[in-house]
Amino acid sequence: MQIPIERFELGNGLRVVLSEDHTNPVVGVNLWYNVGSRNELPGRTGLAHLFEHMMFQGSQHVPETGHIAHVERVGGSLNGTTWLDRTNFYDTVPADRLELVLWLESDRLGCFLPALTQEKLDNQREVVKNERRQRVDNQPYGDWDERMQAMLFPPDHPYHHSVLGSMEDLDAATLDDVADFFRTYYAPNNAVLTLCGDFDPAEARRLVERWFGGIPRGPAIPPLPGRPVLEPFKLGREVRHTARGGVPLPRVYLGWRVPVYGSSDYYAADVASELLAGGTSSRLYRRLVRERRLARGVAAFLLPVVTGSSAFIVRGNAPAGGAAELERALLDEVERLAAELADPAEMERAITGLEARHLFELQKVNERADQISMLTTYFDDPGLVATELERYRAVTAADVRRVTAELLTADNRAVLTYLPDGEAPAEAA
Amino acid sequence: MSPPAPAAAPDRAAPPPRGALRPFHFPQVHRRALPNGLRVLVAEVRNFPIVTVDVVLDAGGVSEPEDRTGLATLTAGLLESGAAGRDADAIAERIDGLGLSLDSGVSWDTAQCGFTCLRSRLEPGFELLAELVRQPTFPEGEVERVRDERVSSIVNRRGTPSSAADEATNRWIFAPGTLFARPLAGMLRTLQGVGRAEVAAFHAARYRPDAATLVAAGDASVDEIVALAERWFGDWAGGAGALALPAVRPRVEGTTVVLLDRPGAAQSELRVGHVGIERAAPDYFAATVMNAILGGTFSSRLNLNLRERLGYTYGASTTFAARRQPGPFSMSTAVQTEATAHAVSETLRELRGMQEAEVTPAELDDARNYLAGVFPLGLQTTDGVSGKLSTLATYGLPDDYWEHYRDRLLAVTAADVLAAARTRLWPDRAAVVVDGDAARIRGELEALEIGEVVVMDPDELEA
Repeated sequence: MQIPIERFELGNGLRVVLSEDHTNPVVGVNLWYNVGSRNELPGRTGLAHLFEHMMFQGSQHVPETGHIAHVERVGGSLNGTTWLDRTNFYDTVPADRLELVLWLESDRLGCFLPALTQEKLDNQREVVKNERRQRVDNQPYGDWDERMQAMLFPPDHPYHHSVLGSMEDLDAATLDDVADFFRTYYAPNNAVLTLCGDFDPAEARRLVERWFGGIPRGPAIPPLPGRPVLEPFKLGREVRHTARGGVPLPRVYLGWRVPVYGSSDYYAADVASELLAGGTSSRLYRRLVRERRLARGVAAFLLPVVTGSSAFIVRGNAPAGGAAELERALLDEVERLAAELADPAEMERAITGLEARHLFELQKVNERADQISMLTTYFDDPGLVATELERYRAVTAADVRRVTAELLTADNRAVLTYLPDGEAPAEAA
Repeated sequence: MSPPAPAAAPDRAAPPPRGALRPFHFPQVHRRALPNGLRVLVAEVRNFPIVTVDVVLDAGGVSEPEDRTGLATLTAGLLESGAAGRDADAIAERIDGLGLSLDSGVSWDTAQCGFTCLRSRLEPGFELLAELVRQPTFPEGEVERVRDERVSSIVNRRGTPSSAADEATNRWIFAPGTLFARPLAGMLRTLQGVGRAEVAAFHAARYRPDAATLVAAGDASVDEIVALAERWFGDWAGGAGALALPAVRPRVEGTTVVLLDRPGAAQSELRVGHVGIERAAPDYFAATVMNAILGGTFSSRLNLNLRERLGYTYGASTTFAARRQPGPFSMSTAVQTEATAHAVSETLRELRGMQEAEVTPAELDDARNYLAGVFPLGLQTTDGVSGKLSTLATYGLPDDYWEHYRDRLLAVTAADVLAAARTRLWPDRAAVVVDGDAARIRGELEALEIGEVVVMDPDELEA
């Protein structure tokens, strides 16, 4: 697959990647800031995400909610998201509106503070609290990732707390906290800008330099708080928790610490997750959903994160009363993967599925731009967007067995079980 | 490396002008028909070596018996469970071995089964698709298993505030026993006892070439697709005949508040809904623009009010589900408990506001340009284009419909929007549904005096 890549760096440290594609008259503009919930200090959880909301509340030359209005009224779509390691902002617009987006994105990077007010903060704090209620508190199983992070990572690790943070910390965030967060992390030298789509690269470069070139470099980025390096790497014991009530049916989540995204063992573990639950021919689907009917649905995936450790997650939805039996069956399949080599046809199916889905996703300029920003932020290598699949191709059945046997072990495992009101605990079922 | 020369400081005071216009055209739509009645719609999209193929069938929710809601969904979900001598495991291995992104699903109007694949797997993909659509075997054990999964998902639905609110809304918008009143995915009692025979009979009646369209978009020529369609679907026989569409009837005569009581709820899921519009209505475009201004975008009146002004919610939106028959209009949001009643009155006020005066020229321009501009964004993928072909097939729209789609949006006037608001919004005949903590909000909802307040348990949705 050919994906053109042209990269350069502005004098202020902003890394820029251009990937032209004249297929459709659209352009995706994507910015990754190398800051996420991992950078939050104790007592200020949720600040990175609250800050992301503030980025849509106007800047010196763009009125409150004006950023979104400008993009919508030219027929564009946009959003921003916050995660453990990073915060991204993206706009997809008709190609003739590229410069509008560069104006908007550079204004909130270069001229954010003059427009910051207490009133805007108070409003978005309420919006974010309602986001938390909607997505976590009023949603069955909505806190699974929050619980799993707390089980897998110690209190002084940057992944111990959730992206949305706690209500108390959101209430405690001050205008000074928001301004300090901006001054510390929102600087061109802590960002990657990717343009993907229908533009002339020379013209695009001129426009990027015009709108972003004059923004001053920020101070050095402080080290991560807490202790990002896990020593020893494995959990050291099995951690269990049962959450009772508030869910209609039982569910089991298993989590293990595995090496970070980008490491060769990460790719091997990702292939293992594909063998377990990548399609309807996968082991968990075939045996537990279709044959034994112990699960109503299964999933297995890794978190593509880079700070100290990633997590390998397996989920199984149980029928009423079936949590304990399902947990045993999920673990049996993991153990079998650690004991026996997968056959070549099964390996081939797993890689084929990964490749096909990757290519289908890359049809969209915004998805391509996001991948390129990610690979540049994490590995300083935008070309990986076309070559990363070779790393999956390089994984052997022996690698999968070794990584599974070494890492998906009882002493490196967190088990989170949800039980409906009135259902007996998993151990007694 | 020396840093580039500093650029002249740009003038940030006003948005920069637009660049050179790039033309946009919907890919040409080619139409063919096979002698057995199967229609074929093809659009060539040559950007990537990817093709999407879908068979769209007149076998959606409207074609199932009223006491068997969920049968259409169950049937489509069982196509992969056995077909043409392959069992479910063999089919799964075939799908994953070819790297097919295979999907089957059901809407009220149609059932659909298809895949996206790399161009090199197009022929085996066609072969498999023909087996699934034409020769599913519906093994008894699989029917039971998939039915049990549906039952679990119904239990989950009722236990999830957002989906319970959706179910209740449709129940109170549409009269009992009429179209759209029940959830498409079924109810516990309508799935109870459904077995192989009923599923197979439904398939035999509705999965027929005269009631089907094969749509394809991607890196394949019209001739290639037609040849594959002839090869794998040419000897598909039998007829389904035309479908009589049942009528749609509203349930409530005046605005009614339905309160699904969930003690201790962290928030209130709120819906305001009523009968909306059919896809072929003459004012479809006017209603679409009107909806964008009311609640169809982030910058819409409703979202700016409930989220950005009041901070009550993470977001609020409105939609018209336009079907062959008028589907629901609904407003959807989740608000903090204390704000529930005020969010209801603000919503009804925004609906009335659309009916009282013309929207401003800026609102009209922004909404039209938004809808016209985002249209190409959805056409970057082969399945995005094939979805548009499916819409042509489902609603009997002309082949050049998408080529003129943006012009028709841009031609909507403020008077059109006002007229659409006056006929298509019913603030005085709405179902207001709240899934929340009744002990904390019932009194306030009654104090609004907008209509009777009916309190029910989410489990009563089965009744």
